[in-house]
Amino acid sequence: MRSSVQVAFDVGGTFTDFVLQDAEGRLHTGKRLTTYPDPTGACLEGLDEIMARTGAVWPELARAVHGSTLGSNLVIERKGADVALVTTRGFRDVLAIGRQKRYELYDLQTERPRPLLDRTQVHELTERVLADGSVYVPLDLDEARALIRRLGESGVRSLAVCFLHSYANPAHERRFGELLKQLAPAVEVSLSCDVAPQFREYERTSTTVINAYLVNAVREYLRGMTGRLAERGYGGRLFIMQSSGGAATAETMADFPVRMIESGPAAGALIAARYGEMTGHPDLIAFDMGGTTAKLSLITGGRPQTVDSFELHRVRLAPGSGLPLNVRSLDLVEIGAGGGSIARAELGTIQVGPESAGSAPGPACYGLGGSQPTVTDANLLLGYLNPDGFAEASLRLDLEAARRAIAEKVARPLGLPVEEAAWGIHAMVNLNMELATRVVSIERGHDPRTLALVATGGSGPAHACRLVQQLGVQTVILPASAGVASAIGLLAAEVKFDLSRSRLVDFDRLDPEEAEDLYREMEREAEQALGALPAALVREVDLRYSGQGYELTVPYENARQEFERLYGRRYGMASPGEALEATTWRLTAIAETPHVELPRFAPREARPPQRRPAYFPECGGFTETPVHPRHQLSPGQELEGPVVVEEHGSTTVLPPGVRARVDSYGSLLARW
Amino acid sequence: MVSEPGRPDPITLGVVWGALRSICVEVGSSVQRTAYSIQAREGQDFSVAVFDAQGRMSAQGPYSPGHMGAMNFAIGNFINAFAPEALRPGDTLLLNDPQLGSGHFPDFLVAQPCFWRERLVGFGVNLVHHTDVGGSRPGSQAVEGIFDWHQEGLRIPPVKIVEEGRENKTALDIIAANSRVPGNVLGDLRSQRASLRVGEQRMAELYERFGSETVDACVEAMIQQTEARVRERIQAMPDGEYRFEDFMDDCGSGTDPLRIAVLVTVSGDRIAVDFAGSDPQTESGLNSYFNYTRSYVYAALKCLTDPFGPMNAGALRPIEISAPEGCFLNPRPPAGGGPRAAICTRIFEVILGALAGAVPDAVTAANSHFCNATFGAWDPVRKRRFVGYELIHGGTGARAARDGCEAMSSPYNAANIPIEAVEAATPVIVERFEFIPDTGGRGRHRGGLGVRRDVRILAENVKLTNLSERRRFRPFGVLGGEPGALGRTVINPGAPGEYEIGGKASVDLRYGDVVSFQLAGAGGYGDPAERDPALVEEDRRLGLITRW
Repeated sequence: MRSSVQVAFDVGGTFTDFVLQDAEGRLHTGKRLTTYPDPTGACLEGLDEIMARTGAVWPELARAVHGSTLGSNLVIERKGADVALVTTRGFRDVLAIGRQKRYELYDLQTERPRPLLDRTQVHELTERVLADGSVYVPLDLDEARALIRRLGESGVRSLAVCFLHSYANPAHERRFGELLKQLAPAVEVSLSCDVAPQFREYERTSTTVINAYLVNAVREYLRGMTGRLAERGYGGRLFIMQSSGGAATAETMADFPVRMIESGPAAGALIAARYGEMTGHPDLIAFDMGGTTAKLSLITGGRPQTVDSFELHRVRLAPGSGLPLNVRSLDLVEIGAGGGSIARAELGTIQVGPESAGSAPGPACYGLGGSQPTVTDANLLLGYLNPDGFAEASLRLDLEAARRAIAEKVARPLGLPVEEAAWGIHAMVNLNMELATRVVSIERGHDPRTLALVATGGSGPAHACRLVQQLGVQTVILPASAGVASAIGLLAAEVKFDLSRSRLVDFDRLDPEEAEDLYREMEREAEQALGALPAALVREVDLRYSGQGYELTVPYENARQEFERLYGRRYGMASPGEALEATTWRLTAIAETPHVELPRFAPREARPPQRRPAYFPECGGFTETPVHPRHQLSPGQELEGPVVVEEHGSTTVLPPGVRARVDSYGSLLARW
Repeated sequence: MVSEPGRPDPITLGVVWGALRSICVEVGSSVQRTAYSIQAREGQDFSVAVFDAQGRMSAQGPYSPGHMGAMNFAIGNFINAFAPEALRPGDTLLLNDPQLGSGHFPDFLVAQPCFWRERLVGFGVNLVHHTDVGGSRPGSQAVEGIFDWHQEGLRIPPVKIVEEGRENKTALDIIAANSRVPGNVLGDLRSQRASLRVGEQRMAELYERFGSETVDACVEAMIQQTEARVRERIQAMPDGEYRFEDFMDDCGSGTDPLRIAVLVTVSGDRIAVDFAGSDPQTESGLNSYFNYTRSYVYAALKCLTDPFGPMNAGALRPIEISAPEGCFLNPRPPAGGGPRAAICTRIFEVILGALAGAVPDAVTAANSHFCNATFGAWDPVRKRRFVGYELIHGGTGARAARDGCEAMSSPYNAANIPIEAVEAATPVIVERFEFIPDTGGRGRHRGGLGVRRDVRILAENVKLTNLSERRRFRPFGVLGGEPGALGRTVINPGAPGEYEIGGKASVDLRYGDVVSFQLAGAGGYGDPAERDPALVEEDRRLGLITRW
């Protein structure tokens, strides 16, 4: 069967990854160092190279999908000098005041992240709308005109507008937007009623300002990128990955850049979903463990679970320390647990992370000047990693440096033999990740015993089996070439667009006609933003018991039953019979679902594995352990732990008691 | 590595410890997501802890520290009321007695005995500040017009609110009948109970995984290790007797200031805190029951000794706290205590003030005092009674290394309540929410600014209880820093006939009146002459100061 040629490229902090699916459905991959400050250079070189290598021609390319960290970087650098905010008179400090809670309870030296805009960039306007949408003070048009003139003269190029209660009545924001278009057409405008129409003014303002931060740079970037692709003869559209796990056209993203702020983890979860689908596991936990953090997310029915708010750039990943965004994104738990996480002895226990040695100086065993013991050092000492070759860097690892660091910082203070200390580090980072796994499964109302787990990232496969041991997860899926997983995930992304409207309704006295009108209106808008014919339109509604402050998103169909079921599972018990309130109405339009075929492993003759000692408490310590190169495994082959499987970019550890089978894609399906 | 009984290995200890902490967090997020009242769900005015079967606190969630002094003793109080053998699976316990709980009626302490294999293995506890439990003023936090707690609302001694899975309907009906907003109170109580059921299940899973001997040994080790570390940190502080005193403005319009005097004695690995010399208990709501006083002493010393370490019974052992019985920091029942939140910041700050010379790099100057006004009336639009609850936080005191934080809750750690949430729930219009320039105390580092919030109330016969401080005594600076500016509360500012009301005033307002809450600024740190001119210039550019 001939399929259409598709290409995906994913810009990361260090590398830009490329994946091309050719007409025969084969996957080809490429990698290039990301270029700064403009990542376009590496993208185009990499695309040209992979197109040439595979003999693909631009006019026949059916689809190009792009993932990027551009948005996140612009915010972290606080590059918003030409951005301003206009808000309701009396509320210029809402952005600086925030929600005011301390994210470290007892730390008197704590600092709040610098506000996105300083006080001089915030302007007040006379107007006021109330919670029920009524106008309390009309918009002062003369004042608005004068302000626009001043802003134009002061060099503002992007303006965020957030008036109180605009989610209930956007008229003032819209009127101001029209005036701006008329009087200062060069200034980009982000209206909060378009960007994030939900109540809670600080969170909505923060989201709108971040959109305003990004809009010029992203528009310019996407315009440049689409232009360069068109020059090469590409006649299709450029699709951009959103934080929600759906792709959208470059044109739509240029208006809502805040939606593409975290595309990497979303793509990773999508490919985990794809592996689950291929192995008959529609419900699973996606587990991605890299150098500094581990990310966990839940996939049900083949789709990643999403949330409608998240925090960007948290301080030491502490909840409440980041910038809130009312944007649909993957329901992701990220913790400071990676190969570079630093271990220490504390209070008679071993603590690991969230501090990380990163890639410079890196773990002690890298020999780049690091002296702190890390998870990678422990894994090396335990015999899990091969000292002669590590990751793609082909770095030789210094076993003695690892041993010294662990002995000095962990073993000696706790009075433990150094191997036991290394095992303790391995076990403690597993515990931290297990607790995070419980959050995305048990706390979300899903029994881990009914879920599979897909492990990706450089460190994921070394920890996955231990991680699930106590949770009772049935199957661990360890895909081959997990290193470019997120770029492959881009190829698998559905084209999607989410819309929402805040409207507070007594749900027990809902007028179905009114709801129908609301959904119809959003459907028309979504079809336009989608840029394609929708294959599915999903209607959802946020419900809560009347008087509560947080909602659960449930399908509009059978909403009450779905709500009570989910509520009971998440929070202990539902209160049937209590009045329900609907707050936000949501519509997702989904276009085509592309089919991505993953490369298959050819059967090969089994070769006797090499062996090296590795540490497993079940075996009483170090034991001679078979070590297989992944590419020498053959579909259908059975492995029984203890076994180590090595490949470029990652090492898989199967502890004693684990049995694994190699599937036709080279993935290991492991179970305890 | 096999654990010997009674002496867990480092890995098992780490695992159990982490699991207990995460139980607290799971219970806490469940409370927040399911609570009804805005102070619980938006202000996060609640706390969570878990205990072992002996009633020792083993872990605490990262919520309000103000409940911790109460928490640590709460299970003991429940056990005194119900012998452990009288507890059955499916029981849930409740109390709000000020002396047994956290010092005032609105705080409902709910304890869930946790059973594993039919054996009592511990308790999950949460404490939520409820909107209204009756009494003389909406919000149950009046200062004026109170001479004992019988004017403050409903007192609930330890009761089984759920008995072997059956709700105690009589008790629930009595609670509902005594609140101005029964729906909120019952809703929040449901949220407390449901979240603790989750907590109980998690505790049982933990015991199932490790067995009771191991878990109990881990709890013992956690408490010992924590105690040892706190002692080590105290040991590093210079021994000495450190005194400090400050004053509360008053305990109602026209009353005298209240002296709060403290002696902190650091000797070896112990700290003793004594409030002898503080004023006697008042015939008003303004008294801090000893549990509450202890909470903020513990919180302050935790900040100064081991801010990132665990909070459990061991962290409290090296600290001895005393206050003469009958003083306003250790009143005799039935003293009033509803508005005691106004006292917490001062208890916290006098400890910092006392130790400023001993640990100058760790302390801060005094904070901008927060405001926790409550008001109620008939809501003419929604056709129901309402109780409004404001939580306004200003800046924090300046520090050795940097300025105080702007707009940051301290030390009780609550969030503010979004304007759009307040206006959707109650008949008010917030007209301003902004910094007040020039209010931060000058110093090498500047104190955080006061914050102003103006609220127009659209109801007749509004009963407002103000609850704020620092109208007479400015938030102190330390080590040469200047104090912050005074705060005030103004009715109808800028309009003809505007007038100021006291920080603890109970006043009646008319339809459309505006209450302008203007908080004090926080204190400065170090000599103002040493301030970096670039910082002064930046403050000026941002409009945070207009003069220096």
